[in-house]
Amino acid sequence: MRRLSLQRRMVAASAVLALVVGGVFIALILALSDMHEARAQEARSKQATASAFALQSLVLDIERNLRGYVFSGQREFLPTYERSVRQLPKSLDDFEAVTRSEPRQGEQVQFLTDSIRLYEDEYAGPVLNLAKDRRLGAARDAAKQEGAFRINQIQNGFKKFHRAEADLTKNRQRSADAKATHAIELGVAGLALSSALILLFGFYLARSIARPVREAAEGATELAAGDLSRRLSQSGPGEIGELTTAFNRMAESLQRAHEELEEQNRQLRDSERLKSDLVNTVSHELRTPLSGVLGFTKLLLTREFDSETRRHYLGIVDAQARRLSDLINDFLDVRKIEEGRFERARELVDVGVLLRDEATLYSLQSQDHELALAVPQTPLPVLGNPDRLRQVIGNLFSNAIKYSPHGGRVEVTAEMQGGAVRVEVHDDGIGIPAAQQSQIFTKFFRAEAAASGIPGTGLGLAVSRDIVESHGGQIGFVSTEGEGTTFFIELPGADGASDQRQGNPADRPKERTTR
Amino acid sequence: MEDRKTILICDDEPALRELIRASLEDGYFFAEASDGLTALELAREVEPDVVILDLMLPRLGGLEVLARLRADEHLGDIPVLVITAWNETREDVLAAGAAEFTSKPFDPDALKASIERLLEAA
Repeated sequence: MRRLSLQRRMVAASAVLALVVGGVFIALILALSDMHEARAQEARSKQATASAFALQSLVLDIERNLRGYVFSGQREFLPTYERSVRQLPKSLDDFEAVTRSEPRQGEQVQFLTDSIRLYEDEYAGPVLNLAKDRRLGAARDAAKQEGAFRINQIQNGFKKFHRAEADLTKNRQRSADAKATHAIELGVAGLALSSALILLFGFYLARSIARPVREAAEGATELAAGDLSRRLSQSGPGEIGELTTAFNRMAESLQRAHEELEEQNRQLRDSERLKSDLVNTVSHELRTPLSGVLGFTKLLLTREFDSETRRHYLGIVDAQARRLSDLINDFLDVRKIEEGRFERARELVDVGVLLRDEATLYSLQSQDHELALAVPQTPLPVLGNPDRLRQVIGNLFSNAIKYSPHGGRVEVTAEMQGGAVRVEVHDDGIGIPAAQQSQIFTKFFRAEAAASGIPGTGLGLAVSRDIVESHGGQIGFVSTEGEGTTFFIELPGADGASDQRQGNPADRPKERTTR
Repeated sequence: MEDRKTILICDDEPALRELIRASLEDGYFFAEASDGLTALELAREVEPDVVILDLMLPRLGGLEVLARLRADEHLGDIPVLVITAWNETREDVLAAGAAEFTSKPFDPDALKASIERLLEAA
């Protein structure tokens, strides 16, 4: 029922209405025709009565004139008698014709017409002939006995006929009245039913169309005013139901699009904020090594030092200048990440060598930390860009040192594991709060480091992840706040990688030269 | 030798601590801290004549160190020279009770002059 379209429902309702109205009209016409028939029968009944009276008076005329002639012998009775006798067959035919449609009187009519014909044939005619032959005595006897008997019989017959006819007429009148009343009642009932149906139909239309349409209009207005959570109640048959469903779907996608836009907006704002934070961070981060470079240079230029001190200061200037250079490279890497271009130079690289090189470099940076390397002497070959991989390892070492501010041991392990080179860098530092672990690789995100004063750009891990992933590897960590962090990287081993890259001629000469 | 002044240097960057020392030349006792908490402990221990304080410090930020120094009844009068790369914090730093604000990069001679001025005033 719910799936029936509104159009079909309206057509069906109209059809029902038409059927009811049609039925009422047919019933009304039938009732009227019944009534008409009853009236016609009534009229015929009256006709029959009139015809019977006419026949009766004709027969009585005949008898009266016959008797007049028989008993008086005067001839003046004859013309009237003969005129009446001439009229008799026609009158009989009339009577029969009029009463033919009334089978209940058939027997009586038959009896009357037979009696009248017999009266005329067997009595009136012979008696008149007797009288004309001047045998008046015989004629008078016959008239007195047989005539009286026959006439009496005929009169009784007519009496019966009239009584029956009167009853019939009364019945017919009653039936005609009943039918008229019936027709009126039927008409009124039909009219009432049709009106009720029309009202119901109108009510249904209003309820199932007007109300949902009004609700849809109100909903659209509210939607336009900005209330994107507005939905229509899922009601209404057929097309109306489709309308509300379509409306709700539209509102749904509007709301979704709006939320997506707001989310994008928020991300844009966040990224703007992060960028402006970065500008601050960059300027601050650059100023610290710059202070070292400028300050020591000024001292060296304006004051006298012994050669050992001079050499020491120049060493600091060199280290700070290198740090400046590294920072600038980091920022440039971020640009490259954002533009999606990283050099994909592929050489055969021994990760073990990289680890030992970087460990030497970073162990010089902090007297408070010990870098403990557990790296096999056998090569750990991967295909990749040695400078970039060195950058990743340096970043992990630097983080391990920076985020264990009280000093301690940084443990580095490396091994071949299922065709991949796995490196782990473990520290006993401050760890990463659980709430911030999911954001650790986000560009410019710096955990609580910024607040606690640990320097950094918030770029190192984002850059590292990009480098590792561009080498087909993965980077991850396990960390407990307050206990320490273990970062790991896994890079595909070079044997498998070189097999896979057999078909790429651009890579092959490079592999050979590094072997 | 008895009138040697004590200077507490708080900076997380060893190179800059060394630069500050070199700028001020000999003639001072230097105490050095690389984080805020150590700086406060050292300050209570050595009761320095002047404090040179960076703002971006691990464990306890420079502004908080400054506030605690100011609130301490023994250390509240020690002049503090804040030296930072965050130039826009000058107003806050001075409002928090710093005697001097020096931005990074700084001139070694100007720093020397500032410290001498602070010590004379004290």
